[in-house]
Amino acid sequence: MHIEIQYNPAHSLATVHLAPHESIRAEAGSMVSMTDNISVTTTAGHRSGGGFFGGLKRAALGGESFFQNLFSAGAMGGKVSLAPSLAGSMVVHELRLGEELFIQGSSYVAAPESVTLDTQFQGMKGFLSGESLFFLKATGQGPVLLNAFGAIEKRELNGELIVDTGHLVAFTSGIEYSLSKAAKGWIQSFLSGEGFVLKVRGRGTLWLQSRNPSEFGGTVGRMLPAREG
Amino acid sequence: MVLQSPELEMSTHLNAGRRAGFWAVITALLVALARKFLGGETMFVNRFRAPRGGELVLAPSLSGNIVQKKLDGQKRLFVQSGSYLASTGDIDAKVRFGGLRTLFGGEGLALLECTGTGELWINSYGSVLAIPINGAFTVDTGHIVAFEGNLDFRVKSVGGMKSLFLSGEGLVCEFQGSGTVYIQSRNLSSLVHWLSPLLPS
Amino acid sequence: MNYTILDSPDFALLQVVLDTSETFVAESGAMVAKDVGIDITTSLRGGLLGAAKRKFLGGESLFQNTFTARTSGQRLFLAAKAEGDLRARKLGVGESFFLQSGAYVGHSGSDLKIDTKFGGVRGFFSGVGLFILRIEGPGTVFYGSYGAIHEVELHGENYTVDTGHIVAFTQTLDYRVRAFGGFKGLFLSGEGLVADFHGTGTVYVQTRNAAGLAAFLHPFRRIKAKAGN
Repeated sequence: MHIEIQYNPAHSLATVHLAPHESIRAEAGSMVSMTDNISVTTTAGHRSGGGFFGGLKRAALGGESFFQNLFSAGAMGGKVSLAPSLAGSMVVHELRLGEELFIQGSSYVAAPESVTLDTQFQGMKGFLSGESLFFLKATGQGPVLLNAFGAIEKRELNGELIVDTGHLVAFTSGIEYSLSKAAKGWIQSFLSGEGFVLKVRGRGTLWLQSRNPSEFGGTVGRMLPAREG
Repeated sequence: MVLQSPELEMSTHLNAGRRAGFWAVITALLVALARKFLGGETMFVNRFRAPRGGELVLAPSLSGNIVQKKLDGQKRLFVQSGSYLASTGDIDAKVRFGGLRTLFGGEGLALLECTGTGELWINSYGSVLAIPINGAFTVDTGHIVAFEGNLDFRVKSVGGMKSLFLSGEGLVCEFQGSGTVYIQSRNLSSLVHWLSPLLPS
Repeated sequence: MNYTILDSPDFALLQVVLDTSETFVAESGAMVAKDVGIDITTSLRGGLLGAAKRKFLGGESLFQNTFTARTSGQRLFLAAKAEGDLRARKLGVGESFFLQSGAYVGHSGSDLKIDTKFGGVRGFFSGVGLFILRIEGPGTVFYGSYGAIHEVELHGENYTVDTGHIVAFTQTLDYRVRAFGGFKGLFLSGEGLVADFHGTGTVYVQTRNAAGLAAFLHPFRRIKAKAGN
């Protein structure tokens, strides 16, 4: 399997080149186009709260359609092109055995079945920041396709940093995090427009996105016609 | 704010202009609160200080570019209020309105008149094109990022009231004189116009 | 008339320079800026019957603007509404080109024909109120994409594209619209309809789709006030 990414940083497209009989699992809604002889089946492909209902719970909680489609190439191999919903970049992280990658739910696009995704795992604190964030834990090995709203910035952390929660794409284990208000008081936090931030500390790698989906959603959403509740 | 070093201090202030008198501050506060609750650009700014140095990474809400402009105390730059990202030094940004229905966002032009010395960062929705004008030039108000203070400008509808509602062009700003206008290649109203018919109820 | 496409591919902008009495027709809302020597007249596209038909089918504005230069060297700047690229296609007499209705930005050449009935007959619906236009030359048509434009050249093989990702395709291709085999998603995201293309020609694929953006923004919309609350 080989994943080719074009049109970064604004309108990325990832084309997965599948060898004969190879498969890849991808987020529902990410398929742009594909060659002949690729069969598609639905899978809830993640552990914990598993199966259809686990996916349903995740979708309801996170506003995220965490169902996956499994694209399997036939005897001739094939190509599937994938893209996320928002403008931005994509990047592949080669996950190695023994490594753990924590991915913000809407930043995950695709990975082969040799990568296991966990939606409920030890140590995950509830993120009630109003941004409906949830994280996936990826373990196993293989290429993990991530998307970012905007450009992706990869940063090595060795110390402490304050990060806006909406700009976080993924991070490796070895990093501790705690949620806090942006400013000292509640009114100050509200007026500053910054909301909640994450204090991250430790040693590891962080991936950030240069735009914040909730901020974009809020800015455009209030200009759109109202909806039925 | 995207990320910052932990030692940075942040405080929130009303963007009323540095030498604003009492009534100007009250007016600015009421306008700012109204805009915060009814939608529209907030007029609160965050001031970040780093007594021992530090790092601050900022990003705007919409996809597009960031342009850095240096103000030398002589020039005035009018910046569309949604395009103001940050400034350093001694830059004063006064709120100015131009045109119809500007108070609560939407049509019209909510501008920040920037003067003083320092660096100014402005962001665009889409890419930025600098257009030097010598004479007259018309720009759709939603596509204005910034323009030099020596230009005359007037907000009007494209071609009479019928055109305003039918043509989809909305309001335009007619510039006169010599100077540079910075336009952005995308417009939030147009995005809304494109997407609205495709939304479920 | 001469034109330049600026800032391709991320946020493309079209610059047209018109000579005395030259005209350019554009979708309403496409104008970014102009020299003052250009007059604008607004008209209903295709007469009242055509406009009514389009209003019923949805997804396409009723009006178009005709820009006429009073003197020479008058500049006109135009852009598509969605974030993405912009292309020009010059068509010979009787040559056809198929364009997704939301992609049309403008055209030059008074003999260029835009046929909106075509989509209705062949049943090409992407499920979000968009349909296919047949553009027939002579003239030049300008179209925009949501996202980058990914050109796929076919030489007899089959290729499947999610209908929301189709910008345009050449007249020599055959296609068949069908439901996608995988999971369709709880709300709007998730693949709905796909088109299987076959033959020799080019499909212009856009790397983002309106349904994905609409689904993302839906929870950010204000809720309609209910009567009696």
